[in-house]
Amino acid sequence: MWEDFLIWKSYLDNPGTLKIDLMLRGIRIADPVHSISCADSSIDLVLPDGILANVPCCEPYTEASLYVLKENHDGGYVIGDGTAEVPVQLIEKPDFLSGQTKSGVPFSDIAELHGSYVVISPASGCEFFNEGIECSYCSGGFDTDEASKVFSVDDVLEVVEAVKKAKAAEIVYLSIGFSKGADGGIKFLTPYIQAIKKFFNVIVAVEALPPKRNHWIDHTYAVGADSVLYNLEIYDKELFELICPGRAGLIGRNRYLNALKYAATVFPSGTVASHLIVGLEPPGSTNKGIDCLTDMGVVPILPIYRPRPGKALGIDPLTTEIIIPVYRHLYKTVRDKNINMNWVSDISVLTTPLEGRNLLDDPEGGNIFESFYRSKLGKKTAWGLSSIRRKLRVRGKAFTVKGDD
Amino acid sequence: MPLEIDKRPLWLVLAIRSARVLFFVSLAAAFYFALTISVPEGLTEGGRNAIAIFIVCLILWVTNAVPLAITSILAIVLVPLFGVLPSDETYSIFGNEAVFFILGAFILAGAVMHSGLSNRVALAILKRYGHAPKRMILSIFFLSAVLSFFMSEHAVAAMLFPIVFEIAKGLGLRPGKSNFGKVLFLSLAWGCVIGGVATFLGGARVPLAVGMLKEATGETINFLEYTVAVFPIVIVMLCVGTVLLLKLFPIEITDTGKANKLIAEKLQKVGKITYVEYAVGGVLFVTVLAWMTIGEHVGLAVIALAAVVALFVLKLVRWKDIEEYVNWGIILMYGGAITLGTALARSGAAEWVATQTIGRWGTGPAAVIAIFSLMTLLLTEGISNAAVIAILLPIGIGMAGKYAMDPTLITYAIAVPAGLAFSLPMSTPANAIAVSSNYITVKELVKVGVIMSFTSWVVFNLVANYYWPLIGLWGN
Repeated sequence: MWEDFLIWKSYLDNPGTLKIDLMLRGIRIADPVHSISCADSSIDLVLPDGILANVPCCEPYTEASLYVLKENHDGGYVIGDGTAEVPVQLIEKPDFLSGQTKSGVPFSDIAELHGSYVVISPASGCEFFNEGIECSYCSGGFDTDEASKVFSVDDVLEVVEAVKKAKAAEIVYLSIGFSKGADGGIKFLTPYIQAIKKFFNVIVAVEALPPKRNHWIDHTYAVGADSVLYNLEIYDKELFELICPGRAGLIGRNRYLNALKYAATVFPSGTVASHLIVGLEPPGSTNKGIDCLTDMGVVPILPIYRPRPGKALGIDPLTTEIIIPVYRHLYKTVRDKNINMNWVSDISVLTTPLEGRNLLDDPEGGNIFESFYRSKLGKKTAWGLSSIRRKLRVRGKAFTVKGDD
Repeated sequence: MPLEIDKRPLWLVLAIRSARVLFFVSLAAAFYFALTISVPEGLTEGGRNAIAIFIVCLILWVTNAVPLAITSILAIVLVPLFGVLPSDETYSIFGNEAVFFILGAFILAGAVMHSGLSNRVALAILKRYGHAPKRMILSIFFLSAVLSFFMSEHAVAAMLFPIVFEIAKGLGLRPGKSNFGKVLFLSLAWGCVIGGVATFLGGARVPLAVGMLKEATGETINFLEYTVAVFPIVIVMLCVGTVLLLKLFPIEITDTGKANKLIAEKLQKVGKITYVEYAVGGVLFVTVLAWMTIGEHVGLAVIALAAVVALFVLKLVRWKDIEEYVNWGIILMYGGAITLGTALARSGAAEWVATQTIGRWGTGPAAVIAIFSLMTLLLTEGISNAAVIAILLPIGIGMAGKYAMDPTLITYAIAVPAGLAFSLPMSTPANAIAVSSNYITVKELVKVGVIMSFTSWVVFNLVANYYWPLIGLWGN
């Protein structure tokens, strides 16, 4: 019994729980590993069972972490917590990210890699910041000086080409902050989506704000987005209004939910998702959010809240013990409601619903389809099927909607 | 088409979207099957293949799965490919006189419309005769009919529609409610339909039928001969139409003053008659006169093309003005239909099909004409009148041989009713245009159209049986 408790507390033997604990605590990096890997504020690791994890390594709280990343005797890497060690792989920053576009923009300014995803923000502004109604936890680099930075379609295409050549990612994740139009930013993203789809066989996910009218959601699908995210972030109504005044005031919680509900009728199962940040509201409220979203066919994605420098909300992060049941609930709910979990997988910055499976008392094994979809062939198949589905579903041409309504 | 996401179950969407592929695969399989069955008694291998090609084209023409012209091109491909006719013969048939006559007629009509002459004539007649509601209805009815004697009924309907629509609007008639509005558009549609069968010029179907007749039998029908034979039908139908128009929908208005003012304003805007209008009118007049007098000796197409050349020599039109009036799709369609019809006739397939089908029901020439005219009337409501001719005429010509009938009779029995489509909007653009006004519904069009269609069949058969013998067309 005592041994069980110790193993459980150590988390090292369960990559699912280890990922959560690592994201909460961060990691210390022993020399000489430190000099080669922690150039940014976090490192990407491959934990046992192929689970990707993005682990903070430079934030002040990481200095107290019980986890240490070190090199072992055969040149590989291990994570130790003082009681045991597990082998991991260190994902080094891909070389291509040090390149730049023909117009001189560093690739790393445009794109970030998170596991099998490359996250591209063609415009770095967010109007919430300009109006002083940004989400209280967000430090997303959306300050007003940066707001005017817009990358051209050609620049973005060059990045995607480099990603494809380096075989670094299969999914392009286009993200945009809040803008004042009624379209939720999709009008701006459309030429990027269309260009990427025209030149590359990749899956494109779009993270935008819910548009005021549903025809923009139709448009999002029609122009080539394979997946869409409208991030509610907080399910609890009062906390949502308090922490996310911009989202609550200019868009509204109901519009988030209605847009997600409608999007789930347009996009394939498992491709409409919404973030609920674990730790910004009580776990019970997050669980209610999971139930509500999955009822609509939406995949909840649960990033873990960590206070950022200068953005302290006075909210202490939850502990791993409290978070694990939430992820278990996530996995079971998504599974029981037959929502496809394969689309949201292999992301290093958060625990995916599929990874919640590892947290069960009696972890379930993956099926053959899951393995297939995680393979390169599987990704290509998903892309092909998604394209065929779009051809079948879409009638008429996108951008036939007029004006800004 | 506005953007729409089809949210029906994916299997259903897939099934619906695959229907087209399945259709063509099934058609190809049926075609292959038809080519491989043993040759029936009394039919050659070429005849069997011609029938297989005919069935494929028949299905495509009826379903409109591909444009009519493309079906015709397919026929031109398949006929030599499967050895029905040699390649050079196939293409020489495509260059039939009727095709060039149709081309010439399109260009002439285009010149008349582009010059503004037809518009001026229409406005002048409406101004002159349209002073009271009933007179206005009859003006539109007879104007549509008379104009359709000289140019395509489709073009007449398209040209008069905006004028009639403005009259309806100017009088404040409520779409769907106003009886006068209904009758206005019915008179436009019926006038075009009835007038369209009066001469070779009302539509390309008569030249098509005559072209097919000539290719299959060497016989022909000249411009004047046709008009003399058909004119009584036109007169009777105009009378029947007049009665029905004035009786079926009681007119609710008593004054057309606003409409007359509108027409007068429009006519004033047109200005003085120009040299171009005079000259185009002159060319058209001479052309029609030539068709009626020397058409048989010189050839209708020769006269039509000479008139076209004259239009350009006199600088009355420019090529780019004319291009929009020339329906190349129809020209291709007719060329292919003539080719296929000829292939059926020369391979003996047409006669064989006629013997095996209608030959079993027909009891004599009168019955054959009654059957063919009825079948044509029914088919022309649903499919293109040219397609009806392409489908029925080769069989009809084959049938004539069986009853020792003059094949020109069958040609009349198919070519004339093919133009008499009164009931459905899809049967002719004139009906479609009338319904598109929203003043008359499809249901109302069908209700009164059925009366006209049935009457036209009776009138046609009465004329065929009692008038044609008088002019020596039916020498029994």
